Amino acid sequence: MITLSLKEEPPVPLEAEALSPDVVATLRYDEICALPMFLGKRQCRVDDHFVVEGEASDELEIRGDAGRVKWIGRGMTRGRLRIVGNAGMHLGAYMKGGTIEVTGSAGDWAGAEMSGGLIRIGGNAGGQIGAAYRGSRTGMTDGTILIEGSAGLEVGMRMKRGTIAIKGSVKDFAGLEMKGGTLIVGGAELRTGAWMTRGTIVSLTRIPLLPTFAYSGTCNPTFLRLYARQLGTCGFSVPCDASAGAYLLYTGDTAVSDKGEILAWQPHAS
Amino acid sequence: MLRISGGRVYDPANGIQGEVKDICIADGRIVNDVQGAAVRTIPASGMVVFPGGVDVHTHVAGAALNFARGMTPENHRAAAKFIHSPLLRAGTGGITPTTFATGYLYAGMGYTTVNEAAVPILSARHTHEELRDTPIVDKSSCVLMANNEILLDLFEEGETERARDVLAWLIWAAKGYGVKAVNPGGVAAWKWGKDAKVLSDPVHGYGKVTPAIIIAQLAAIVDHLRLPHPLHIHCNNLGVPGNVSTTLETMRVLEGHRAHMAHLQFHAYGGDDWTTLRSEAAAVAEYFNAHPNLTADAGAILFGNSVTITADGPWQHLLYQLTGRKWGNLDVENETGCGIVPYVYKGSNVVNAVQWAVGLELLLLIDDPWRIFLTTDHPNGACFWRYPEVIHLLMDASFRRECLRKLPSRALKRIVLPDVDREYTLSEIATITSAGPARALGMPRKGHLGPGADADVTIYNESPDRGLMFRHPRYVLKGGEVVVEEGDIRKVVDGRELIVRPAYDENIEEYLRPLFEQYYTVAFENYPVEQERLEGADIRELG
Amino acid sequence: MGGKVTCTLGEVKNRADLIIYWGGNPADCHPLHFSRYTLNAKGKHVPQGRKGRTMVLVDVRETPSVRFSDIFLQVRPGKDFEVVTTLRALLKNRPVDEARVAETGLTLEQLQNLVDRMKNARFGVLFFGMGLTMTRGKHMNSAAVLTLVAELNAFTKFVSMPMRGHGNVTGADVVMRWTTGFPFGVNLSRGYPRFNPGEFSTIDVLVRGDNDAALILGADPGATMPQPAIDHLARIPTIVLDPKLTHTSRLARVHITTATTGISAPGTAYRMDEIPLPLKPILKSPYPTDEEVIRRIYEKVKVKPAWSPAAYAKVPCA
Ligand SMILES: [Zn+2]
Repeated sequence: MITLSLKEEPPVPLEAEALSPDVVATLRYDEICALPMFLGKRQCRVDDHFVVEGEASDELEIRGDAGRVKWIGRGMTRGRLRIVGNAGMHLGAYMKGGTIEVTGSAGDWAGAEMSGGLIRIGGNAGGQIGAAYRGSRTGMTDGTILIEGSAGLEVGMRMKRGTIAIKGSVKDFAGLEMKGGTLIVGGAELRTGAWMTRGTIVSLTRIPLLPTFAYSGTCNPTFLRLYARQLGTCGFSVPCDASAGAYLLYTGDTAVSDKGEILAWQPHAS
Repeated sequence: MLRISGGRVYDPANGIQGEVKDICIADGRIVNDVQGAAVRTIPASGMVVFPGGVDVHTHVAGAALNFARGMTPENHRAAAKFIHSPLLRAGTGGITPTTFATGYLYAGMGYTTVNEAAVPILSARHTHEELRDTPIVDKSSCVLMANNEILLDLFEEGETERARDVLAWLIWAAKGYGVKAVNPGGVAAWKWGKDAKVLSDPVHGYGKVTPAIIIAQLAAIVDHLRLPHPLHIHCNNLGVPGNVSTTLETMRVLEGHRAHMAHLQFHAYGGDDWTTLRSEAAAVAEYFNAHPNLTADAGAILFGNSVTITADGPWQHLLYQLTGRKWGNLDVENETGCGIVPYVYKGSNVVNAVQWAVGLELLLLIDDPWRIFLTTDHPNGACFWRYPEVIHLLMDASFRRECLRKLPSRALKRIVLPDVDREYTLSEIATITSAGPARALGMPRKGHLGPGADADVTIYNESPDRGLMFRHPRYVLKGGEVVVEEGDIRKVVDGRELIVRPAYDENIEEYLRPLFEQYYTVAFENYPVEQERLEGADIRELG
Repeated sequence: MGGKVTCTLGEVKNRADLIIYWGGNPADCHPLHFSRYTLNAKGKHVPQGRKGRTMVLVDVRETPSVRFSDIFLQVRPGKDFEVVTTLRALLKNRPVDEARVAETGLTLEQLQNLVDRMKNARFGVLFFGMGLTMTRGKHMNSAAVLTLVAELNAFTKFVSMPMRGHGNVTGADVVMRWTTGFPFGVNLSRGYPRFNPGEFSTIDVLVRGDNDAALILGADPGATMPQPAIDHLARIPTIVLDPKLTHTSRLARVHITTATTGISAPGTAYRMDEIPLPLKPILKSPYPTDEEVIRRIYEKVKVKPAWSPAAYAKVPCA
């Protein structure tokens, strides 16, 4: 395993796409130390900011408050990346495989346009999780993002496949222009599922809806049981016991489609 | 002073086809000979020497292109990056490159002159600001006229002579070079959400004026004013199945006048709808070959990303509905409009496959290379920096056949390309990329290597891989300065603007001023582009 | 995916018979707008001027613009996105939830009536202001009206246009696009342009404290931005170029007085519809122009070594 301990919080954002298992997997200690990063406009080396230990491994651990370190794990395809502390923006963006685990929180754009792999965030996350970058047609196309805390705006924007599960609540525009995949949230503020054409949003609590979602009855879909079982192994509980309650099903967004689904859990009155 | 020594020279305008010959340069021009110790020699033996490329039809600057840039951040993100250096400005390449990158990319490909093909007069000041920020290449521009309502009103009233003065005044107001007609009458109709599909039908909102009248009148005026470049026309019904009849009719209307048919590929389709679309390149080429009053550019498409930008608003709305992707539209008061739709041409798509073939067919079936020029209607059919791919396809029939094999078989029945064996020679490539367009644009100092010509020279390492050869010139000289060496920009010079000042009756301003106050929202005084803004422009006064 | 369907103001003047203002107060904020370009202007195809046009105003409160309008729709604060999305559904005759529509402060009937008017207009225009673009939903509110208008073109001619703040905001946007490919929110620290609003837009950068210096040109963030952004400007070396002392000048380390563009300095201003207008100076100023100051600063910066690893070795990281 390679460990990188952040010496101190950088004064301005540190862009560090080199901090990825793919990059360090075959590198010797001194090569890892010399990898380029950018502190603002200045090019610098990994060992300017991190104490480096270990070499040649696709297991990489970053320690310290890396909340200002951007692009960690960009485009990674394999291996294991663990961040003991926080991670900055674009964590695991364009990721194709492997796993990322963050014990603290992550910034905006975590898992943006990812196509595979697993990202687990122990704390909160920012906005645009698993989203499409501005102007792109498609957000995440596969993979899984699990968040213990809450998340920000536009979570899962334009996602096409894959799963995002968030225990806490999300801000506005969760599942914006969603095209497929599954987004599970503890709760949500406004405009959830706006302009979605396909895909499923599951909320564990009742949420405010746009006028362009039509109520289509209650259900306890079987696909959700599968999800519940899978997510249960990761410590996420998704209710699906028909004796405990049912999901209210809404379809829309009728401004663009009727094939998107929002499921909101409603426990039976006890 | 400079001597390019020992290269094989292709200078079709001067009848030179691959002779080993020295090219001498002094004070930015080609001269017969240079002597003395101050002469730098570029050893070019084993290399091929061309006059610098001239692009007769491209969209590199102005409101429409800039609109497209703003609409497509995803393309810039994926594009080549231009990193700031002491020599170069930062920028992005890709489908709609930034202005500085545009200059570097054209020069890097050996092109030294470009004609921006669609300038609204109302925003011409903007176009010139962008062109000033487009380095190295020399630049001319064509002014949009075929939907100018002041002109259309004059045609309606039969006031041909006044229309002539107005048009001449407008060219000078825009500091333009030529006259462009886009979808004559159709853009004016688009202001009401309509189109002009039949050349002989009155334009929506008019009683008499038809697209045919607009075309004939504009062509006559351009000839009468003796503009160096003939009427530059984008026909009605661009991109529509069966539009070949409109195109042929347009060419018949143009008999007796000079005209340049823009991006002919988009206008040579048969069939009744998208499912029956087929190539009519052969019919177009047959008519065209027999009518020497016409020149054309190919407007070839290549598979991949593009963004379609055209003053043809109705077509763009149709394309938006077909693709369901983004759509930009910008109507310009009393003059023109433009539409923008990102598009991906796919080899697996039968329609796109036919389009791909039509561009090449026109280039191969039109037999006079002096009349058909290499373009992709950048960025509509493909980016200009992909021209070497087209050259490769033109020079290598076996490569073409290889590409044809990848097309869907349904497409093969609708094209004639598989039966065409012609291969372009180097001399013909020099003609369609430089000598021909320079002549059609009426630029006597461009497109050749005779004494007096601007010393715009491109030197290639000869290679059997024509794509590679034309992608990476060994040297590029602009105005006698080596701007590109071994694929790197070595020096950045400013390009000049080429402008025409036709003669007109000064009193025409008194006619225009009240119309302006009525119909426009800018002060008449603020309409013309100030000459002082165009530093170092090359202004040609016409008597 | 929507897009942007727009025109120059003369098209509105010459053709528009339905004019919608959304989230703005043109009567107060753009006093010449009605007479020059829109409501009261006599146009080529609207010779009767005001009588030939219908004006709809959509806003969260009554403003002086209300008395100019034929129809005033008062929407609840923060519900614009819901209203526009509902209009998009109605346009396609798709179902909407009547009770949730009513939460916007407008009834289904009012919205259906608006959609009918839009579809039946000969030439419609929707101007949207900061009441839409700067409230909850922000860029998505803009995207919503832009998309609605694009979709209306399946029925009739319809265009939209943002009404922006004062100054040459549009000009900055236009020039940024041709030099970097992006309109705003551009970062050049890696030597080439990158775009990510929210990450690189000025307010976000300042609020997070991501920058360690600031050069302010033609703006007064010290008067308009949120307090954390202002606090950060005061913390770092801030340089202001402005003809007068601004709020930002007071918290800046350096203020350089420059000539007023348009009065003592030439240039180009881009109107809200991106029409370039020449600025012709009428007075001489003892102060240098913004351009001259920037040019002189750049000449000094240019001789410094580039930020390569070698250069970095000599300059310790801050
Ligand atoms: Zn064109």
